[in-house]
Amino acid sequence: MDQAVSGFQRVPAEDLAWLGTDPVPAAPYYDPVYFEAERQAVFLKNWIHVGHVCEVPEPGSFVRRDLEFARASLLIVRGRDSAVRAFHNVCPHRGTQLVEEASGRQTKFSCPYHMWTFGTDGALMSAPDFEAFHVDKKDCALREVLLQVCGGMMFVNFDAGAAPLRDWMGAYAERLEQMPVARATTFAEYTYEIEANWKLTYDNFQENYHLRFIHPRSGGAGIGGANQFGYPVSMGFEGPHRTQRIWSNPEPTLKPFQRTGAMRGIPALAQAGLLGLPYERDYLAFFPNLFVIGTPTQPFSHTVYPIAPDRSRGVVRVYWVGDDASASQRFAREYSLAQIRDIHAEDIAMIERGQRGLTSGALSHIHFQSMEALCRHLFNEVDSRVQAHLARGAETA
Amino acid sequence: MMQNEGLLPPAFATLEPFVERWALPRTADRAARRSASTPEEREAFFRAAGPRLDEALDYLDARALRDLDGPDRRLMDLMLGLAHVALAVEIQGPDEVKSAPWRDRMRIVRSSADREAA
Repeated sequence: MDQAVSGFQRVPAEDLAWLGTDPVPAAPYYDPVYFEAERQAVFLKNWIHVGHVCEVPEPGSFVRRDLEFARASLLIVRGRDSAVRAFHNVCPHRGTQLVEEASGRQTKFSCPYHMWTFGTDGALMSAPDFEAFHVDKKDCALREVLLQVCGGMMFVNFDAGAAPLRDWMGAYAERLEQMPVARATTFAEYTYEIEANWKLTYDNFQENYHLRFIHPRSGGAGIGGANQFGYPVSMGFEGPHRTQRIWSNPEPTLKPFQRTGAMRGIPALAQAGLLGLPYERDYLAFFPNLFVIGTPTQPFSHTVYPIAPDRSRGVVRVYWVGDDASASQRFAREYSLAQIRDIHAEDIAMIERGQRGLTSGALSHIHFQSMEALCRHLFNEVDSRVQAHLARGAETA
Repeated sequence: MMQNEGLLPPAFATLEPFVERWALPRTADRAARRSASTPEEREAFFRAAGPRLDEALDYLDARALRDLDGPDRRLMDLMLGLAHVALAVEIQGPDEVKSAPWRDRMRIVRSSADREAA
């Protein structure tokens, strides 16, 4: 059958052959040595998504973000000068963690232990009996971590010498800026812990090969006609980042209530100018562990934070422009959140099952087909950094 | 509260038996109730309230969301509960029981609908 005529053209395998076609080693998905190298060469060296500027709307607004991969707690604060900064949530006096609250708004931050007090710019403002110390106040500021923003999304980098965020994002910076998330003022969030490697977890959301088997009911609208697997219509790569355009099913099978639930949110989206944006069918993935979806009725981000070789934490946020303004809008947002959560719930069962199989050591290699090219690209980008890191370690030794 | 005031606006009085179980103030509570209910309870609620969704939202849209209280507020919460139950009945169907434990691991920590509910 002519696929173009019937509404779907599969990305030719030869267009993706540059990524390689060999089996991929299985150990990187469970080996603690590999995991430690990833932590150092990938997570401590790249821009990592930590939140959205709408969480810190005013001077003094702060959020605390605990990042297991860095063994760090960060205090992310909007200063009186309106700049957003990230600091280690650590008092430079003797290391006490400053803030226990997950979020809030304060004009200053006092360490409960000895009352060293810091401004929203991290500078030490006062410390009792400071004359008895043998150090200058200017050397006692909170330790800053690079934080930069693109499309409303905040990223940190633990490598003080890192290239700027926008350079690292390349051409995808502008795409992110044209997605609904860039205009978001609020969001819904759910989180989960999963007994699985971060790559195995993340990979689930990079391929559609599993849709018809794992989401036969919940994902029905994205499968059908000439595209029985719901494969993407295009794929793209930009440095370590990647994208795919989700296929638009010309004849989606929507249930009556489901259709109503979606339609109820449309007028407000149209009014806000959120329909017909250029990347509204796109999945946009930023290396290593974030992806963002441009779909106006369900604009979500998904970040998978590594905890251990076989344990991760997922954070899913559905981003909205403006507070709920009507009953219909509130209903549509609730339905959208609950719907994507249903789909993700089906995924995590299968991901943990995959981890148990891999951790057994039964396999030396796993396989990616051409429509799993995004998974292969992530592995390639991780592995080149890990191998370089291990080679440097070997040289040093 | 007026003595004769119903749980819901008069036009929706037939849905009052579902208020106690399904009109909950927060998204996480509504999601949890879906999991904690029986298929019979979900189907009865969906059968009775599903066909009234458009009518209920039209009624509520004519009022300021921020000012909803009493029967109107309960009607809003009831429809939000219906969003979760509809997914269970209309979409998941026989898979609902199997997927519930996995879904419950996805902890809802924030929702735009929660802001005024606290």
